[in-house]
Amino acid sequence: MTPLELELSAIEAANLTDLVEQFAELVADSTDAGTIDDPAVARLVPDAYLDDPDAAGEFRRLTQRDLLRRRSGDAGVVLATLLRDGEPVTPATLEPGQERDRIVVTLDAEQLRAWLRTLAAVRLVLASRLGVVDEDDHADDDSRFGVYDWLGYRLETLVRAADRDL
Amino acid sequence: MSTLPLEDLDQDLSAAAAGPWQTVVWNDPVNLMSYVTHVFREYFGYPLERAQKLMLAVHHDGHAVVAEGAREQMELHAQAMHDYGLWATVREAAS
Repeated sequence: MTPLELELSAIEAANLTDLVEQFAELVADSTDAGTIDDPAVARLVPDAYLDDPDAAGEFRRLTQRDLLRRRSGDAGVVLATLLRDGEPVTPATLEPGQERDRIVVTLDAEQLRAWLRTLAAVRLVLASRLGVVDEDDHADDDSRFGVYDWLGYRLETLVRAADRDL
Repeated sequence: MSTLPLEDLDQDLSAAAAGPWQTVVWNDPVNLMSYVTHVFREYFGYPLERAQKLMLAVHHDGHAVVAEGAREQMELHAQAMHDYGLWATVREAAS
């Protein structure tokens, strides 16, 4: 595919960097744990058998750690490509007046897949934190829903771009 | 999917040899419909129409069988769906 150019404002890039860093940390902390207590992380490694706890446990034993490692790998790809002049953009490094600066992220097909999986996974974690159990669950006065919606909007744009190459 | 050696399975799947095991994808309130359709197209190599049909079945019926075949293969598919953030399970087809 032709590399995809994704345009973000500096403030969007900074917020996304912050989110993905938190996500990567959460996943890394859970990777070596045998059991996962955090429902948001549990959603990333769901039971593969509904009525067979033994089979579900065995599947988990064989796959959970690698699945979480791949989430870390994907998040790493996002962070490695979400750069301004070769440097990460974080809320701390963003200077006043730069919020609306344009940042262009260039992604090849593999990087785009890592972005798609990561944005989808971060949305799952956020949804779990926000208590979304129904598609209509939405508290407009909760600013975290703004982030959730924004991720959905960005994901939708990337899906459309990725669909062009299918 | 560079992370799983599944590229070769796409061809077999479009032939959709029915088997005793199934991979089932379940509805959730978070994943976007466009994303789920994209996953079915990209991973299984399904044509747009079939991918959309499956996505709508997941959405409206709560779940859909997305593949049938040998148990090991269905487990690989479930794992791949989990990689995308979709909730998939494996089950024996009702005889």
